[in-house]
Amino acid sequence: MDMENFSNMQLDAMREVGNIGAGNAATALSVMLSRLVDMDVPKAELVSIYELAEYYGDPLKPVSAVFVRSEGEFTCSLIFFQDEEDAQSLVDLLISQQMAGMALDDIPPEMRDSALTEVGNIILSSFLNAINVLMGGTHSISVPGVAHDMMGSILQVIASIFGQTGEYALIVDTTLKVGDIEKNVSGKVVMLPDPGSLEILFRKLQVL
Amino acid sequence: MEKAHHVGMADLIVVSSPEMLMTLGLGSCIGLVLYDQTAKVAGMVHIMLPDSRGAGAKAAEKPGKFADTAVPALINAVCAKGALRTRLKAKLAGGSQMFALPGAETDFLAVGSRNAKETVDLLKKTGIPLVNSDVGGNKGRTVEFSTVTWMLTVKVLGKGKTEI
Repeated sequence: MDMENFSNMQLDAMREVGNIGAGNAATALSVMLSRLVDMDVPKAELVSIYELAEYYGDPLKPVSAVFVRSEGEFTCSLIFFQDEEDAQSLVDLLISQQMAGMALDDIPPEMRDSALTEVGNIILSSFLNAINVLMGGTHSISVPGVAHDMMGSILQVIASIFGQTGEYALIVDTTLKVGDIEKNVSGKVVMLPDPGSLEILFRKLQVL
Repeated sequence: MEKAHHVGMADLIVVSSPEMLMTLGLGSCIGLVLYDQTAKVAGMVHIMLPDSRGAGAKAAEKPGKFADTAVPALINAVCAKGALRTRLKAKLAGGSQMFALPGAETDFLAVGSRNAKETVDLLKKTGIPLVNSDVGGNKGRTVEFSTVTWMLTVKVLGKGKTEI
């Protein structure tokens, strides 16, 4: 697969994959929080790996990220990341929803982290379930990994996935926003297909 | 404050004293500095991956990307600016593993430790002394190298600064 030359139709197909996956992810988050969850129009872009660190803004910005791998016929990496502040607000929302009556200050940090990992895991699994239906076949999902760090450091994971074989990364992303609240809580779902498995995906979608 | 040059992914930059070198948010990548205090020259390279096998002709365009092409390229670049190879010293930081997924096939997530090992091994072969290093772990690092104090300042989110 030539990572520098995708047809418009192929990029459109990737956007549609993002749309279907993120739609399912938004529904899962909405059910979990009993709130409206909005999503942006998905993007599918080829990004130079050398410019990745600044792709989402300030590389020093603290973010929280949940990462999973999907294995099977079509392999990919999935990341759910948020500004650290938004991540903490999301945990507050979840805890007040699921454990009503518990004072937020009484929740130990390990438990907050665990809640955050689980939200990310459910969002990413839901995304992947939709892809499974679309592709047919089954794909297993790894246990989630979580990191709280600088955006630039997190994005280097993406650079190392695509860097071995080329200079460009294919990034499919969508922003999810939790509605009905004063504070702005949003997060990005990012899908990164392995370069080697794109052909399988495109063939299934009949755009190759 | 002296002028600071930002060394982006796969970049290689050489400066003279008193200018500074810096890299923001190193994760699995390596920031390698070679310097000659007498000639007052230092260079930094931002290494992304351990080896260029499989990259073909592309590797020559961005020698900073792979450890095996970055180390010789950095030696040449600092020497071209007046450093003497026998006086060169090295410092490096980075090579962390941001995510760990138990049970999954995730060799690529451990690329940080392979980056660090490969770079250190290559330095050994060249005979350039590695004065100090801060590698591994699971946290990102921001590094700054001063060509006045010849110290590498490493900042980790939530843990403050250390000088090596």
